[in-house]
Amino acid sequence: MKTNNNLDNFSDNRVVNLLMPRFAPATSLEFKAPAPRRRPLWQAVRISAVAAVVAVAVIIGISSVQTSTAREVVERAMMRLAEADSFLVHFTANVHESKHSQDLYIADFEGAPIKGTVEIRKEGSKVKMAIKWQDKARSMELYDGESYRRYQNGQLVLERPDKGVDLTPFATIDKLKEHALLTGILLKFREEGDIISVSTRGNKVGIVARFSKSEGRLLGAECSGLYNGQQITVLTVDQIDFDVPPTE
Amino acid sequence: MKLTTENKQLTRLAELMQSERDHLFRYACYRLGSATEADDVVQDLYLRLSKQGARLAEIEDLKGYVYRSLTNSCTSVLRSRRQFATTETLDTLSSDDLAPQDFEHEFRLIERLMALLPDEQSEVIRLRIYGDRQFDEIASICNIPLTTAKSRFRYGIDKLREALEKRGLI
Repeated sequence: MKTNNNLDNFSDNRVVNLLMPRFAPATSLEFKAPAPRRRPLWQAVRISAVAAVVAVAVIIGISSVQTSTAREVVERAMMRLAEADSFLVHFTANVHESKHSQDLYIADFEGAPIKGTVEIRKEGSKVKMAIKWQDKARSMELYDGESYRRYQNGQLVLERPDKGVDLTPFATIDKLKEHALLTGILLKFREEGDIISVSTRGNKVGIVARFSKSEGRLLGAECSGLYNGQQITVLTVDQIDFDVPPTE
Repeated sequence: MKLTTENKQLTRLAELMQSERDHLFRYACYRLGSATEADDVVQDLYLRLSKQGARLAEIEDLKGYVYRSLTNSCTSVLRSRRQFATTETLDTLSSDDLAPQDFEHEFRLIERLMALLPDEQSEVIRLRIYGDRQFDEIASICNIPLTTAKSRFRYGIDKLREALEKRGLI
């Protein structure tokens, strides 16, 4: 069957010309097929659920310098992340103890709030991470790029091989977006007045980091979700320090 | 490495989304009036379809399915805004409005024109002009005969021409 798809044959080109887009914005979205046997982000980085949430909050929730667009603010922030040798994140999380040995704590709407820090330190090609919890056991989780070790009350209680955190997908926004599309995380940029927000949305919880454009700094980052009809915050990033000296 | 059915389908979806990216995005832009929201809707669409994994193999006309899903997604966004059409009419349209200088004004002009049409006609026009779909594809997306897709386009354009001529705007 011959199909006539030509616009020229239709009534009035003056109207069609009027409707033709002349100022269509462009998109930077990229869709790439996933690598075979790909693992989800959380499994790929193999860090605990709480640490994963913190890591993403760090990635999107770091301070920046004054610039013009939301994308540029976040791009600068991510460059700073990529360039920093180390950073220390202070957070508060609502958690409960995990029943599985792989995770120490699981973020939970009904969990108890615990303060902690995540220290990420780049040493050559390796990324080392230490999560310190202000709990009764003074729990500490260490990822040194080869193994995972958990200490409680100063004693080693668990050790297993673990490659730790791979920060390379987060070097630029395009890489992050690409990675997000591959791993099922929706990343949104919003600009309202002086506030720029970058958010991710998973099945249950979302993470939002807010920047002040004029001040060029992070105002806050939090992870929240809808629970029993209410928006509940399960994790708050209180402060991020860059290039901190190693802690014990 | 041998690809699984799921990998093959996800590859098929990614390649289709990449090749149609600009058209999908542009359709969403001129439906929603916001590049940011268009980005979100197209990303969200891809993620939702990706979750179907191997079941994508059951969809014969994947391109039509993607566009149909996109039109539904945009409608959902507009519904959540409780805003389907502009309240501005052609009566206040000036000749300056007919020569917009940026996307915002262009979108407002198009919305004012589309508001004159029944949804089924404006949808065919949007898919044709902003989605760059051929009429046979539009027929498939809207689940209507080819002749109906063409006639809806023609009637819509004719109605716009009459409205503009009546006001001396063309």
